Amino acid sequence: MDAIEVNHLHRVYRAVIGVIRRSIKEVVAVGDISFAVGQGELFGLLGPNGAGKTTTVKMLTTLLIPTSGDARVGGFDVVKQANEVRKRIGFIFGGERGLYWRLSGNDNLRYFASLYGVDPDISKKRIPALLEMVGLTGRGNEKVGGYSRGMKQRLHVARTLLHDPDILFLDEPTIGLDPVGAREFRQVILDLQSQKKTILLTTHYMFEADMLCNRIAVINQGGVIALDTPSGLKKHVSDLSVVEVETFGAASEAIEKVRALSFVDSVSIEEHDQRQLLMVQTQRGAEAVPEVLAALDGQRLGRVVVREPTLEDAYVRLVGGNA
Amino acid sequence: MNILNLFRYWRTVLTVGQITLTNLMNDGFILFAVFFQPMIIALLALFMLKDKGADYGLFVVVGSGLTGLWSSLLFISGNSINDERWNGTLESLVAVPIPFEVIVFGKNLAHVAQSILSMLVAYVLAALFFGYSLTLSQPFLFVISLALTVFAFVSFGLLIAPIFVMYRSVQQWQNAMEFPVYILAGFLFPILLLPDWTTPLSYILPPYWAAVALHGTSTTTLPLNGILFAWAMMILLSVIDLVVASRLFTYMLYKVRVDATLEME
Repeated sequence: MDAIEVNHLHRVYRAVIGVIRRSIKEVVAVGDISFAVGQGELFGLLGPNGAGKTTTVKMLTTLLIPTSGDARVGGFDVVKQANEVRKRIGFIFGGERGLYWRLSGNDNLRYFASLYGVDPDISKKRIPALLEMVGLTGRGNEKVGGYSRGMKQRLHVARTLLHDPDILFLDEPTIGLDPVGAREFRQVILDLQSQKKTILLTTHYMFEADMLCNRIAVINQGGVIALDTPSGLKKHVSDLSVVEVETFGAASEAIEKVRALSFVDSVSIEEHDQRQLLMVQTQRGAEAVPEVLAALDGQRLGRVVVREPTLEDAYVRLVGGNA
Repeated sequence: MNILNLFRYWRTVLTVGQITLTNLMNDGFILFAVFFQPMIIALLALFMLKDKGADYGLFVVVGSGLTGLWSSLLFISGNSINDERWNGTLESLVAVPIPFEVIVFGKNLAHVAQSILSMLVAYVLAALFFGYSLTLSQPFLFVISLALTVFAFVSFGLLIAPIFVMYRSVQQWQNAMEFPVYILAGFLFPILLLPDWTTPLSYILPPYWAAVALHGTSTTTLPLNGILFAWAMMILLSVIDLVVASRLFTYMLYKVRVDATLEME
């Protein structure tokens, strides 16, 4: 039996618009999604903003009712057997909210342990062990309001493990964390996987998905557009190379010129303060460099590198090319 | 529901209540609703009634304490679900195996228990600053009345919280609902002073019967059968509140999961 089974899940949001002339606008958040996650698997759900990742996670964690389709988590239906699902899952949504800031870390954990029906004798032992696991030993008596963002995220992990769930949903858990905090957090995720927990992870960080996930589903516009292992997904771009060009305030017209080159598959841009990194996907490899540089003539340029494609390049190609 | 579940729920209610009290300690509004507002009301009433004798002193102590209870119920318990939503904790509470109404019951119990301090504040004011000799006429019956009052207020809070979540137009009247209940429930003045048509409204309010029982057992104004009747009404209204609240919670939890309103919009 799979830990998570999703069959043609569909979810529509309805919003009332207008003040005097009111009308209902329907937005399809999840069009038709199906996938399965095996026991003990670390499964990634990738997609651009608005692709339907969080909506899917919220349906699987019983927080939203699907418009149609069905899903089973731990063998139980997420609508008809929501309470059985809740006993077996833990979830973290990215960000700092969801904790009581005026309470200490210990009190937050004691509170949620009680809500999960954990015996007080067990929670007395488990809370210090979980605080140690997430690196918060000695900080449990401090008010959560004084915690850093990374500490709050780690407290969320401890909270979600209080009832020792088999299945975890982590929705962009490293968002907003500094590089050290994010690295520590990824180690926590790997530790959880080594304990045979089934984990569904959503993230915007491709290297994170590449490093952690056994399999990845890429969703876009409410549907699954690819589902494979990270190396399998990279095969989508095995015919490509990436020309990386460092620019300093490159004009958008110049970037459009690069995009317009016949041999360019796509161009994505990473912004770093005054500097941009243009990533040009092409089948020509190093031979493309002179023409790319010619298109950027007159712009202030830094280093130029030709490299093999990564999962991010595969993702960019899958979700529609130019980002 | 089996005994084991009941025990588990009660244990959760106590933990939730205890931790809610800790959480409330730093909230400035709570201090106002529980301490300062009843203190101001008690001071005004004690000045107005200072020549009326010791019984009136006690009437004011109990009455101003009830104003604190009602304000706490209306604003803190009434908003308890919306507060969780604003805090970003509502999703975490809905997605636990313990029924959500058990959690809200524990929170309301903490709010109401804390606001009993209002009565103590008024008592200290009357005894120390106005020199009233305050002795409860029927202390044992008073304690039972107080326990039933807590139960009735907690149950009433369980009814109004989901209404405030689902019907925001009702919540807009929250401020306007504070003082009319002070008057209709007879916290500080007997309802006999009010027009006859208001009497049925008083009778359907649990705070009215709480005021009858508490005033009646702190002073000697009410015979035993009157006290027993007030207790029975508190229990009856509490049971009705709990049954209706249970339905409302089921409907509300379904609706927020369909409408996707567990989070702030």
